[in-house]
Amino acid sequence: MRKLSPIARDGVRRRFRQAFTQTSFRHYSTALSLYLLAPLFAVLIAGFLYPIGHLVKLSLFSPGLDFSAYIRVFETPLYMAVMARTFRVALAVTVLSLLLGFPVAFAMARLKGRLALVAGAAVFVALWSPVLVRSYAWIVLLQRNGMVNQFLTETGITSEPLRLIYNESAVILAMTHVLMPFMILPIFAALRSVPGEYALAARNLGATATRAFFRVTLPLSLPGVFAGCVMCFILALGFYITPALIGGPGTLMMATLIGQQATALLDWPFAAALSTVLLCLTLFFVLVFRKVLSFNRGFHGVG
Amino acid sequence: MNLCVENQTRKKAILLAVSYVAFSGVFGTVMATAAEKVVIATTGGAYERALREAWFDPFSEQTGIEVVTVAGTNAEMRAKAAAMVRSDNVSWDLYLQGDIQASSDEHAQYAQDLSGFCDEQFSNNADLTEDACTAAGVRLLSNATLLAYRQDAFDGAAPESWADMWDLDRLPGGRSFPNFDDPWRVMAAALLADGVSREELFPLDIDRALAKLDKIRPAVSLWWKSGDQSMQGFRHGEYTIGQIWLTRAKALKSEGHPIAWTHKASFLVGDRIALIKNASNQDNALRLLEYWLNSPQAQAQVCDVLSCTPPSEAAMSMMSDEARDDMPSTEEIENHVVVPDAKWINDNAALMLERWNSWIQ
Repeated sequence: MRKLSPIARDGVRRRFRQAFTQTSFRHYSTALSLYLLAPLFAVLIAGFLYPIGHLVKLSLFSPGLDFSAYIRVFETPLYMAVMARTFRVALAVTVLSLLLGFPVAFAMARLKGRLALVAGAAVFVALWSPVLVRSYAWIVLLQRNGMVNQFLTETGITSEPLRLIYNESAVILAMTHVLMPFMILPIFAALRSVPGEYALAARNLGATATRAFFRVTLPLSLPGVFAGCVMCFILALGFYITPALIGGPGTLMMATLIGQQATALLDWPFAAALSTVLLCLTLFFVLVFRKVLSFNRGFHGVG
Repeated sequence: MNLCVENQTRKKAILLAVSYVAFSGVFGTVMATAAEKVVIATTGGAYERALREAWFDPFSEQTGIEVVTVAGTNAEMRAKAAAMVRSDNVSWDLYLQGDIQASSDEHAQYAQDLSGFCDEQFSNNADLTEDACTAAGVRLLSNATLLAYRQDAFDGAAPESWADMWDLDRLPGGRSFPNFDDPWRVMAAALLADGVSREELFPLDIDRALAKLDKIRPAVSLWWKSGDQSMQGFRHGEYTIGQIWLTRAKALKSEGHPIAWTHKASFLVGDRIALIKNASNQDNALRLLEYWLNSPQAQAQVCDVLSCTPPSEAAMSMMSDEARDDMPSTEEIENHVVVPDAKWINDNAALMLERWNSWIQ
């Protein structure tokens, strides 16, 4: 092998080093970016793309090309009705989480000292406690002889216990509780990066506090809102434990149906078809949502 | 930072990672083969505790073979066993399978045929019930899903049939039914309540069953999904009459709750232990099964706790008087207890579930 002269060797080394080091404060070189992203791609391909591809294949080939599973999904009223309910519940949970979560995120971003600590702790403790425990807590609260019903009957507001649990409202309530941290944290992060001076500047130019919020702070927090909404919505679509525990008749969701086909009936092609339809609809709604948000003038940071 | 140093650090890190993986792999294998063991999947909870005390622990003591348990619902176990066999990655040896599912064609794809073992060991054993050892697996116990009720709820009156469960005027209060992937019991109860005779029950008339269920639906205050949920619901007074498992009703009684049940409204169901295909501890697994069928003492101890019927005649006589009182009488078995048509249920499982989901959704 031809030996490189010391100067040429230095040149190679420098170029090699440049390829893997930061060239400016904001931008990484392509090689370094690819190198940094490689583990993520590897994990995505092995843990996500390959299984999803396998799933789609399972739903389409048995072993020849066969669309019967998909025809059954679309022809049986049951599956379309449950699909519609799943999206309706997920949407309700997302909207509720946003309405309840935004003020919390706003407060967390603006609070200082001990109060900020308390607000943060409230959100993180909720995030860290297991979903199962939080769902059971709702059973304790809402069941026939639970705390809420005891309070209502003892104070004479109602004469006999109400049916508060095992219905769709209870499922939406409990799911909102479980998913709220996923809404609060991205919005909090977005709001934290908006300097308070912006709102002050708007006030200085004559805007009222409300106007400054709606014209300056809120638009700048939209990337966080988008991230929170998408996360909530997607997680809600696949929710399994909470609807199973809090739901009753009339609250059947897709995850439960898929689980039934996969475990109770061992009909994996059909379970795969249901999953694929759910996945495609989810992607469709996320894209639509993103389009709608980025149509709004000036929110190019979204997504 | 100097590039050479950086490179060396990276190399070291890779080397460390590789050696760690290799080491833990080798070490793990050594650990696994060091002790003799057998892995069995059960439904966990009170059920598994009873099995461990009466069966697994004495077995380990006698043979030195460790019994490792894994918990899951029946459906989960079935699905996981199927997945293990299909992907040729079997890590269990034994799993519990409902009697009905054990008689399906699908079961034979994932469970080892035990007829050779049965013929060799138990063909002349008069102490055991006829189906204690079959190709599909070994009988663990027989059990019931039946009508249970709060004793103090009706001023001395007591429900005695499924028709009584529908009689909301005479026996008021919340009702409870199971709502999981296996709806035949609920449909069958509705048909019996509607006047269908036990002999004509199968094939189930699904339309008629759902029409009858429409009438009781507003009174159902708990659709339970797990045995624990049915117990929790009873403790908190969510219902006064329910269709629940006898093992759970018995557990509630042991806790001191005023619960009673009737074998005149009951379905006979049982659990089988199946040997998964290509199990790695097959010999140990067969020894564990052998130990169960040859130990009336262990069977009696389990069924004392769970209120079940053991496969051995001798075990029945060893059970406590109290536990024997909880078992159905000969008259009840002959005239009332329903034995489900496993073949029809297996053939129509998907149809029943789809109709059920459409009704309950």
